Amino acid sequence: MRLAHTSQPVNSMWCVLRIFIGSIFLISGLGKLFSPYQNFLYVIQSYQIFPSWAEALTARVFPSIELIVGVFVILGLWTDWGLKGAGILFGIFVIVVGQALLRGLPLESCGCFGEWIHLKPQTVIILDSLNLLLTFVLLRKFFYTKKFSLDSYFDKV
Amino acid sequence: MNKLRATLVIVLVLIVFIAGAKLFLVPKKDGINLQTARAKGNSQARVKIVEYIDFQCPACAYGVKFLKTFFDKHPNDIYLQVRYFPLTKMHRHAMVSALYSECAARQGKFWALDDLMMPQQSQWAQLISPEPIFQSMALQAGIDPKQLNACLASVDARQVINNEKSLGQSLGIISTPTYFINNKMVVGAKSLQDEISTYFPTGK
Repeated sequence: MRLAHTSQPVNSMWCVLRIFIGSIFLISGLGKLFSPYQNFLYVIQSYQIFPSWAEALTARVFPSIELIVGVFVILGLWTDWGLKGAGILFGIFVIVVGQALLRGLPLESCGCFGEWIHLKPQTVIILDSLNLLLTFVLLRKFFYTKKFSLDSYFDKV
Repeated sequence: MNKLRATLVIVLVLIVFIAGAKLFLVPKKDGINLQTARAKGNSQARVKIVEYIDFQCPACAYGVKFLKTFFDKHPNDIYLQVRYFPLTKMHRHAMVSALYSECAARQGKFWALDDLMMPQQSQWAQLISPEPIFQSMALQAGIDPKQLNACLASVDARQVINNEKSLGQSLGIISTPTYFINNKMVVGAKSLQDEISTYFPTGK
């Protein structure tokens, strides 16, 4: 009894962390959707990794993907797929920022991100790596991650 | 309601939401104001460009160089107007360089100063205070120092810069350089080159 009582907040913490990961994508996706797509296109171009057609396609499609992943992870609907999608996205961020750092691209001073992002690329890559790690842990602890989710509701119905 | 039906409802809601955001919430256009002293070229040209610029942004310097080369080749085909968008939280000399430019514009010397300031950006951007260099450039550009210093001290010049930045923000601008080419928003030097090439396909 004692063990069950003390572990309840810990179990809920996994749900909170799931909502945290989902919120990152929700906020990021909304921010891009409510801004002209050209702003995000410029950010993608600054990484100098994709051909032009892929840059334009990514700028158009990526914010919607972020929004969808964010909403599904927060609601806990198809949570495992949502978290796998989140993991892939964090993995992409790490690779894209990492290659820019290795190539010494001038991301900080280029003006591409405007004034609203003050994070250094080194900080970004650390945060994305931590989020990627957290996503893996959430998938490992899936039984707890699923708590207070639509998945668990539909499992009971 | 089963899981698949709930999924379908959520996906549909998201599609409607995304389509709504694209259609109603994203501002796109900015027109040319013909009365500015920061414009050059043929006002009847088929390509009209409004350029929102931060004078300390390296990509802006590249864009300026590209447009200058292009403008020299096609003086009658392009009309260019510059507006201020200093990224003051990112570039410490963004405001002071914009102030010098605005004060130069008030003496009809905007382009003369611009031609000196932008190619040397990498040098003055590193300085703790770039003002001695700007003063020297101003003299070289034929700007009256007395009028210049009076203008620099005035609130009005700063107000013009802040107002243009606010206008840019209301149009959805967050980064520099941002261009409106015949009212179409284009961000960054690479997109500028791509868009210009649609009007001049041979690149000549």
